[in-house]
Amino acid sequence: MISALDKLSAILRRDLLTAVRHRTGFAITVLGLLTQLAAFYFLSRAIGPGFRPGGVEYFPFLLVGTGVYTFFVMSTQAFLNTVQEAQQTGTMEVLMTTSTPPAELVVLSSISAFAGTLVNLAFYLVAGIALFRAPIHTNAASLLTVLILSLMIAMALGIAAATVQITFQKGSALLWLLSSGAWFLSGALFPVETLPHPLALIAHAIPLTYAVEGMRMALLQGRSVIAMAPTLAILAGFSLTLLPLALWGLSHSLRRARQNGTLSFY
Amino acid sequence: MRHYNTESFRRILNDILMDRVVFESVSKLFRHRPALFNWLGRERGGATMALKDLSFTVGEGEVLVLLGPNGSGKTTALKLISTMLLPDAGSVRVVGFDTVRDGGRVRRQVGIAVATERSFFPRLSARENLEFFAALDEVPLRDRAARIDAVLRDTGLAEQADTLVMKFSSGMYQRLGIARALVKKPAVLLLDEPTRSLDAATTAHFWTTIRSLAQQQATILLATHNFAEAAAVGDRLLLLQRGDLLADRSIRSNESMEELRAFYFRMTGEVDEALRPIERAGRAI
Repeated sequence: MISALDKLSAILRRDLLTAVRHRTGFAITVLGLLTQLAAFYFLSRAIGPGFRPGGVEYFPFLLVGTGVYTFFVMSTQAFLNTVQEAQQTGTMEVLMTTSTPPAELVVLSSISAFAGTLVNLAFYLVAGIALFRAPIHTNAASLLTVLILSLMIAMALGIAAATVQITFQKGSALLWLLSSGAWFLSGALFPVETLPHPLALIAHAIPLTYAVEGMRMALLQGRSVIAMAPTLAILAGFSLTLLPLALWGLSHSLRRARQNGTLSFY
Repeated sequence: MRHYNTESFRRILNDILMDRVVFESVSKLFRHRPALFNWLGRERGGATMALKDLSFTVGEGEVLVLLGPNGSGKTTALKLISTMLLPDAGSVRVVGFDTVRDGGRVRRQVGIAVATERSFFPRLSARENLEFFAALDEVPLRDRAARIDAVLRDTGLAEQADTLVMKFSSGMYQRLGIARALVKKPAVLLLDEPTRSLDAATTAHFWTTIRSLAQQQATILLATHNFAEAAAVGDRLLLLQRGDLLADRSIRSNESMEELRAFYFRMTGEVDEALRPIERAGRAI
């Protein structure tokens, strides 16, 4: 346990130092998030107060939907970047020869990648609430539960993207699928119920849909854990299935890459 | 938890007491698949036999040099010991542990300095990079700072310890790679072309360090195509060519260096290019 914490602190330190020393990148991310917020604020004003999906105002609806969606895409992207950079610089092979088991290393690295994007999500939501006066009604316990379950699903997606990257050198394909299909299917911009029936069926098979829905219930409607139990149960089902599956896939792909000598291919 | 039978225990005990690294009939094949859309048909599929039925052992405190021209299988052999690669046939054991079945245990025993220069995090300093890898290699926290200082001193990087590695030269990267391999105090140290980018003074200092590590019972495998390096640091020399073992010679035996050198260039068919300009200049060797 102490050893795992020591390794996690080393990984967090590495990522924090790298991010801080990349000052321009940090400033561009903040500017990008603020621009996105402003665009959604004026979009909701243009649509007018009559449109209240799920009984909430459109701007907070968009704020939470796009915030959660951006969190999923950015965290998968951050984790994928870590793997791609490790392959390109040759760090990947060296990391795979340290005393830390590969699965542990990947989980610890993903925690660090997600910690960074979680800060982005918090900044996005707080800026939306403070600057554009988005009304909220939060249940802290529900929010924390949704956040933990969403984090587990995001980790699984990140690890799956890493697996695709190691196996086919095309992890960005999974990211493209996530960022294009899920953009309108997950209910980030408008309620899933407005989709045609076949598309709504697909939407309900995507974990991101439940993460967005759960976050809105917890942050905007103040629903208790019991009141939103069905959504939480589905999120738990996804996370408990996807995370072990992703770890198994990664372990299998690493073994295959060691056998084929393609660990550092990119 | 893995269970070991009597035979496994006997083998582990033998490897610990006698041989730190054991290669038994190891073969490694790399397959090349052409791209999916190979319209012009220029890209060929096929396979390269990197190692053919290679067997050897290395004892405690021994410096074994893998000598051979490019593509002879030296790096592949080191990667197989470090578990970066897995064998297609045969077995590789390190301190009694099989690299396929007990990869985790093997990795605790092995330190590798790879030939890739830029295998570091560019926006971290040399010390920060070593601290990161030391944590992953489970170097105890109480010893970590002292060990890092020591390896930075040994590799001549003490003055650049707090410089971001993105500002390093090729030689400095190479020294940092050696420092990283040493910081965990591995039982088996693997060095791939370790002095390729080093100047003469640093190379000489590095060779002294290698000999002193061997005296402290570290087992060292060094891959090089430089005969002078092999002669300077090795106890034993494995001569490889296109994955075949051509010879296994003790360097400390009575056989003269000149004979060994002639043997190397004769067996590999390599031309001792270094000699030509010297001869042309009319200098004695």
